[in-house]
Amino acid sequence: MAKDGSQGMSALLEPIALANRSTITLAEDIRADNETLSPVRHNDVMPAIIRAEKFCLYYGVKAGVKDINMDIFPQSVTAIIGPSGCGKSTFLRSINRMNDLIPNVRSEGTLYVNGVNVYDGRINLVNLRQQVGMVFQKPNPFPKSIYDNVAYGPRLQGIRGGRLDDMVETCLKDAAIWEEVKDLLGKSALALSGGQQQRLCIARALATRPKVLLMDEPCSALDPIATSKIEELIVGLKNAYTIVIVTHNMQQAARISDCTAFFCMGELIEYDATNIIFTKPSRKQTEDYVTGRFS
Amino acid sequence: MITQSANLLRTAAKFDRPLLLTPAQDWSGWLLGKTGRALLMIITGTSVLAVLLIFVFIVREAWPFVQAHGLGEALSSTSWYPTRDPAQFGMLALVFGSVQVTFGALLLAVPAGILIAAVLSDIVPFRVRQAVKPIIEVLAAIPSVAYGFFAVAVLAPLMQEHLHLSTGTNALNSAAILAIMAVPTIVSVAEDSLSAVGRELREASYACGATRAETLLKVVIPAAHNGIIAAIVLGTMRAIGETMAVWMASGNAAQIPSPWWDLTQSVRTMTATIAGELGETPVGSMHRHSLFAVGLILLVVSLAMNLFTEYLLHRAKRTSGVHA
Amino acid sequence: MNIPLRQWLDRLFTSLAMLSVLLIVAAMIGILLPMVWRGGSAVVFRGTVEFRRMQLEQFNRGDSAAVRAEAEDAARIRQHAYEILDRFAAGLDTSELETKVKQLHREFGVQLANREIPQKQLSELRSVSKELRDELLKAFEAEDKTQVLEHLDAVMSHSGDERLKGTVAAEFFDLARQYRDTVANVDLRRRSEYADSLKQVKDAMRSLFGPRPGERLPALPIEQYGSTRWDQAKQNLDKLLWAESWTGSGEGQTLTKSRIPREEQFAGTALAGLFPYVRDNIQGMLRPKWTFYWQYFTDDSMSGHYFGGVGPEILGTLLITMFAIAFSLPVGVVTAAYLVECAGDGWLTRILRMCVNTLAGVPSIVFGLFGLAFFVIYLQPKLGLPGSSSIIAGSLTLGLLVLPVIIRASEEAIRTVPQAYKEASLALGASRFRCFMSVTLPVATPGILTGLILSMSRAAGETAPILFTAAVAMGPIPTSLSQPTRTLSYSSYDMAVGDKMAMLAPHNQFGMVMTLVAIVLLLNIAAIVVRGRMSKKLRGQ
Ligand SMILES: Nc1ncnc2c1ncn2[C@@H]1O[C@H](COP(=O)(O)OP(=O)(O)OP(=O)(O)O)[C@@H](O)[C@H]1O
Ligand SMILES: [Mg+2]
Repeated sequence: MAKDGSQGMSALLEPIALANRSTITLAEDIRADNETLSPVRHNDVMPAIIRAEKFCLYYGVKAGVKDINMDIFPQSVTAIIGPSGCGKSTFLRSINRMNDLIPNVRSEGTLYVNGVNVYDGRINLVNLRQQVGMVFQKPNPFPKSIYDNVAYGPRLQGIRGGRLDDMVETCLKDAAIWEEVKDLLGKSALALSGGQQQRLCIARALATRPKVLLMDEPCSALDPIATSKIEELIVGLKNAYTIVIVTHNMQQAARISDCTAFFCMGELIEYDATNIIFTKPSRKQTEDYVTGRFS
Repeated sequence: MITQSANLLRTAAKFDRPLLLTPAQDWSGWLLGKTGRALLMIITGTSVLAVLLIFVFIVREAWPFVQAHGLGEALSSTSWYPTRDPAQFGMLALVFGSVQVTFGALLLAVPAGILIAAVLSDIVPFRVRQAVKPIIEVLAAIPSVAYGFFAVAVLAPLMQEHLHLSTGTNALNSAAILAIMAVPTIVSVAEDSLSAVGRELREASYACGATRAETLLKVVIPAAHNGIIAAIVLGTMRAIGETMAVWMASGNAAQIPSPWWDLTQSVRTMTATIAGELGETPVGSMHRHSLFAVGLILLVVSLAMNLFTEYLLHRAKRTSGVHA
Repeated sequence: MNIPLRQWLDRLFTSLAMLSVLLIVAAMIGILLPMVWRGGSAVVFRGTVEFRRMQLEQFNRGDSAAVRAEAEDAARIRQHAYEILDRFAAGLDTSELETKVKQLHREFGVQLANREIPQKQLSELRSVSKELRDELLKAFEAEDKTQVLEHLDAVMSHSGDERLKGTVAAEFFDLARQYRDTVANVDLRRRSEYADSLKQVKDAMRSLFGPRPGERLPALPIEQYGSTRWDQAKQNLDKLLWAESWTGSGEGQTLTKSRIPREEQFAGTALAGLFPYVRDNIQGMLRPKWTFYWQYFTDDSMSGHYFGGVGPEILGTLLITMFAIAFSLPVGVVTAAYLVECAGDGWLTRILRMCVNTLAGVPSIVFGLFGLAFFVIYLQPKLGLPGSSSIIAGSLTLGLLVLPVIIRASEEAIRTVPQAYKEASLALGASRFRCFMSVTLPVATPGILTGLILSMSRAAGETAPILFTAAVAMGPIPTSLSQPTRTLSYSSYDMAVGDKMAMLAPHNQFGMVMTLVAIVLLLNIAAIVVRGRMSKKLRGQ
């Protein structure tokens, strides 16, 4: 399985392949911006599914992220790395507007998802969040049964009965946890181990059939075995989803991602194909960070 | 894995739900949000409405009495003979009864309550504390009429027999019962504020060689004084507003005992007067209005105390926030 | 200050503090124990045959044949006591004998009239009968023993008369003989003194065994039965066996109580035998048996709480509590949800909070005043209901009283729902409303439930707010919400100070309070259990 995954990855690493896969055309009013950092620099019309333009987000007066210009491409894994407190989570949560929950949050600039500015007042938050799923740093299953956890999203969409059962099963299989929990579907999700809980959360996120999956340090609380399972999972999922993953683990970013963005102090320092970031980054800061000399 | 995902790939390729609201959705969503909020506000307003209505109706019923006699006049006379002709509405004895009984109760309940709070927060280990707290909760849960019953059926005969009093239902009896009823309130609020005092403060005091008693009395309790005063005020409120227990235990004599500090004579409180007399008053009579005026006094007193505790607890929170 | 003194003071402080804890624990035990102990005896006690008879006749409960047989057995044993009593009473209280003699004389006259005998013999017999009657009456009246015996001898002198054999008049001689026996043991000069005590003895017998067999049944159920409970029986037996008197040692002196055994009091009389007999056979006369009278909690009371149970009171309490909660739970939870989820920190929220706190601080009697003025007198007539106490008015008043409790508990519960759950739900595409309903509310439920149960216990125990809005001491079981009802709390009060009958049955007084306290404490324990259970469940155990 891992072999398959790595094959897929090497294929995707070719910028051409990315461009060929492009299924999404940006809305007319979005022009390709030369300043936008992008690992793919030769196309006029970007096939980006998420695009930030001069995006800033403030907690009160303090900036969480500032002046982000970034394109994220469909059916790839994009890793975001950077020191603690640099705004990785902030940026990730901006994409599906989870920052709305925090009082006194203010944004500037634009952030397009599928060509629509999500900070538009007319945005349909429900549809946005359904199609841009999120997995959190700490596993947070609902205090309900395993089945109900996975079925939560589909039920919101009005899916019931046999179709729901099928869907729960598929998602649990996709999240590589089906074998472990298939006899415990009625049991409380809180009785699972941390790694199992995290995979359950991934299954839960998959069950809403998102197009983009945002993952905020999904492995930070897990042991190496659980981590490797989730990494396999991410690589496997990439064919169907666009994945943005925040991680503190350089090896992980190198293993699974196609492109990598380096954040520091709320700013996007460098964004390029993963092998470039990890082998010949163009910025000194990036190099220091990925080689562990960062202070 | 890839084969598994293949079926998802087909369905998952495109954003199939519109990210923007249609104008109709936008508008109806806005409307729904507003109406929902308004509905919530209305239901939420019940408590506000209730407070307003309580004030309006108590004042409305008390007003004829206030107009005819004046509260000042009523509060300066001790002759409460509402059914005589001419009726006399001197409430001083009733107010005195309430104050005397409450004060007597506090005399017992405050030291006991603070000591128990100190025990729970500083002296005993966690497990003992877990055992004592339910007992305090049980005491708080016992209905006041049960306390009153205890006062009449158990305590009064005992008092009469062993203290050689002419009557077992007297101010002392009510004060004792009220003290037991006020202790849980005092303990729970005081314990919270004692626990909120930071450990550093205690450690600093111990480090200076102070004993536990000195630490508690000279450092911890002064540091928690706002919370403790609030506890006392809340206990006072509980005691002043209590009806059934004092009605049954106090002996119901509308008089200022002589000498005034004598707790072994029967008294009557404001609450007991309302409870005992309202049932027999005809609608619209001056007697009924006078009882509502007594109620108004109670309401105003409790409101003032409430505001005072809120102020104190607010201050306590602020100062303990600074310590932490 | 020197160190030993300071240490000593420290120890003094610690022991004082521990003492106060002990005191409060002792207070709890001292309050609860008598209630549970004596109240429990309303339910578990040794019931006598009188109790079973009462249950059979008044509540149609128990094995009819067995109870009747038992009652007959008991009656047989009692019969001897009644005979002793009658024998003594005959010598003392002659009015019965007098009427009997007069009646005999009349009957004899009638008998003679029906017989065909010559006129002369008839008048002769009549005068004999008259003489016998008068002599007997004189004998009954006389206080001097020799006089009595003279009169009786005069009567007996006719006993040889052949003409009277086989007629009603022969009974004159039986009476004379009986009276001679009676008089032999009685000091006739102490007649008036005995009369008082005899009355006491008779009363005690009646309170032990109820009305005598064959006597006309009194109208009140309370008078139809003897001691239904063994503890009651023992008290009454004590009254039967001991004479109590108050003697003053001098003018203005306090009276002192003295007790003398009645056996001594009636020494040398026919009655003396009664006391050892009753004492030795009381078990057989009353047949006490351990009874678990669980129907106490469902039965209606009779004769002002003298017999029966607290069923209607429990029903009324539950009704009022339920409706109070039905009103304040939705309002309370919605208010709490608004405070946590929607309201910021504006002036509106502050006013709201202040009102909740004010409501929590209003004395309960003021709620009662308000309920009377607003719900009963103002609102009910507007809605076409009578302007008098009703369940609905009481429930609404209590509902307002517990509203702050529910709001505070719910707010706390909703506030402590982890943000992670809400985020997860929203990230899955739930609207805020769906998020609240499907995640926040279920997770907050244990906390809300705890608050709910606690406020139920508060509502069940409160008396002052329903004094004028819903409660009555006596009355039928309500059939609609616009009627008043009996409640445990108010009846506890009424039985303690108002109900004369209940004071004769202290176990029922205590039983009522015990039921109330038990309900309240059970609810509290339930709250603690729910809290523990649900938090365990949330932790995934
Ligand atoms: N709710 C908030 N209110 C105020 N400031 C916040 C809030 N959340 C984050 N911040 C600030 O925004 C900045 C970026 O935070 P963010 O959580 O995005 O960092 P991060 O890169 O995810 O760090 P980590 O790797 O530790 O998760 C931090 O300086 C933090 O202090
Ligand atoms: Mg983070």
